[in-house]
Amino acid sequence: MLRVENTLFTIVMLLYFAAMILYFVFIAVKKNPIAKAAVILQTAGLVLHTAALICRGIGAGRLPLTNQYEFATAFAWGLCLVSLIFVYRFRFPVLGAFAAPIIFLVIGYAAMQSKDVHELMPALKSNWLGFHVSTAIIAYGSFGVSFVLSILFLLRDKAKEGGFFDTHIPSREKLDLISYRSVALGLLFLTFTIITGAIWAERAWGSYWSWDPKETWSLVTWIIFAIYLHLRIRRGWHGKAAAIFAVIGFVCMIFTYIGVNTFLPGVHSYR
Amino acid sequence: MTFAVILLVLLVVACAVGSFVKQGQTFDWYAASYSETAAAWIMALRLNDTFHSWWFIAITAFLCGNLLLCNVFRLGTLIRRTKSFGDAGNAAKRAADASVSGVSDPESVFAALRMPKPQQSETDGIKILYSSKHRIGLWGAWVCHIGILLLILGFGLGQMTKQEYSVYGVPGQTRPIGDTGLFLSINDFRIDLRDDDTVEQYTADVTVWRVPQGSTTEPDEQRAVISVNHPGRMFGMTFYQNATGWAAKVDVTKSGEPLQSEIVCAGEYLPIADKKELVVYFNAFYPDYALVPGEGPKTVSGRLNRPAYLYSVYYLGELLGMNALTQGETITIDDYEVSFSEPQNYTLIQIKRDAFTSVAFAGGVVTMIGLLLAFYILPQSVWAMPAEDGTWTVYAESKKRRAMLRDELERAVSATKLKITGETDAQG
Repeated sequence: MLRVENTLFTIVMLLYFAAMILYFVFIAVKKNPIAKAAVILQTAGLVLHTAALICRGIGAGRLPLTNQYEFATAFAWGLCLVSLIFVYRFRFPVLGAFAAPIIFLVIGYAAMQSKDVHELMPALKSNWLGFHVSTAIIAYGSFGVSFVLSILFLLRDKAKEGGFFDTHIPSREKLDLISYRSVALGLLFLTFTIITGAIWAERAWGSYWSWDPKETWSLVTWIIFAIYLHLRIRRGWHGKAAAIFAVIGFVCMIFTYIGVNTFLPGVHSYR
Repeated sequence: MTFAVILLVLLVVACAVGSFVKQGQTFDWYAASYSETAAAWIMALRLNDTFHSWWFIAITAFLCGNLLLCNVFRLGTLIRRTKSFGDAGNAAKRAADASVSGVSDPESVFAALRMPKPQQSETDGIKILYSSKHRIGLWGAWVCHIGILLLILGFGLGQMTKQEYSVYGVPGQTRPIGDTGLFLSINDFRIDLRDDDTVEQYTADVTVWRVPQGSTTEPDEQRAVISVNHPGRMFGMTFYQNATGWAAKVDVTKSGEPLQSEIVCAGEYLPIADKKELVVYFNAFYPDYALVPGEGPKTVSGRLNRPAYLYSVYYLGELLGMNALTQGETITIDDYEVSFSEPQNYTLIQIKRDAFTSVAFAGGVVTMIGLLLAFYILPQSVWAMPAEDGTWTVYAESKKRRAMLRDELERAVSATKLKITGETDAQG
């Protein structure tokens, strides 16, 4: 089963790469059928990616969400899922064009990690693992999409009237709303991640909050997006300032995910 | 709100500093790791204990005060808004986020927008069709703030009042639990290993008891089997299987006569019974000992294949020697002979009583409910008023979906094949 997963993973990488190239071609030649083809390729990638994760789970005999490789590939899956939901929901293929390189980078990062299947240490053998990590994946995916939308929001300002960005990207007001919806989804799931993590930590370590670097930086990310929400409803600060905070929030999230494990090891440093 | 944002930014900075500066170290440690000047600043600003420093607590307290006042001040407005949101009489005075005129069958637009069946009322002689939904969503941020307050309150009170103890020992041993008057007896401790020597689970069977004092209805003894992720609850306290290590029986003889026999855990000192200035320190245990050149002593597996004990001997605080003993070997110091045997795992049980954990978790749940209300139960009202030409104008209001509302109205109108005459409200 793990061999099948390995093969599927390679195909998924190729599909994501091909989708990314098609998106770039779409931006270059501005033909909508190319965007449609890219979305179809990305959707096919997501379906096979789901199959790969299931194979990994069956092969490992547990939820495939416990080490750097598994979390990275699941993060790429979450990012792809949330971005496609927004692409379909808001008929917005340009979002896919900007999300595709990030998805490819994340799955590339996953490819560089060890794919070995290890048995779980006792602290990780808990039903809370599934809730805690799967909600984190949706939260991270949503923040990734909000990052892309905020970048588009900031680029929109510089768009020429009647140019590609002007005709293919929704108005600033709509972009702001879509970005807000994405942050809202992310914040809701991040809150769920933190709460389930706290319940689990209480059972496993006897303390639901111990200022471990991962916990602290999850809180930092949460606060940054809380600031984003407050700025968004504040006159004179909404729009650009809020978009900048969404970008900062995503950078914090990436630091929480990769930076903390690298620079600030704590009880969450599972390799 | 500006003050709240400033406080949140300060919290972010404080958390970042607290995570980068290693917590709980001494001045000498910081001086050696950074510089003397940096160490002086770290100690002066209490960055060595950021999350318990007076300024971190002050920021959190100000945030709580801000949240509380914000909620108190908003309560009246929210109640009024909630009431007026369901009141058709106010509809005519309200600014719409989007509107469509020239509608001949307004009820079909309500249906297309998935609004509840509109009510009909009349204000100042004007007939109004009115429908609203998701009023409860207006309370999302307010409920979320209450949740955060509960969370911080529960955490803060827990930090101030919680009792924590730790007890370690091997099966058969009984130890007091701090100053509680309770005792913990370790009945059994098991480490389940997999075929690859990795640990499957640590399980301890423990009994907690107290010396009975007169007649009492409370049981004097409670027993639980605890393992990682499965704590036990006894006498109002929670017992966690926290850690493990190796212990061994240490026998001391003097001139060939038995003098002392005790279970000693790795990391513990054993003063010789009749010569306290002579101390044996049990440094470490190697279940499958190997001395690798260039690497020093190590264990090649977790199995008891070739047990060895690393020890040090001190006299009046001075190190006399250090070495590793294998099974059956002894240390000879003048008339004394010391030997190690019967290696076994000890368990470290963490014990906690925190009455406010449930308050903090309740805060978490309330925060989640608040976020759900704020993000996904979006208040929306739609009303229609007749125009002079006999058609209707349909208005819609949903502050959080303004940008989408116009499109939805237009789609609803297209779906009902109505004629759009344009017009969107300037407020939208």
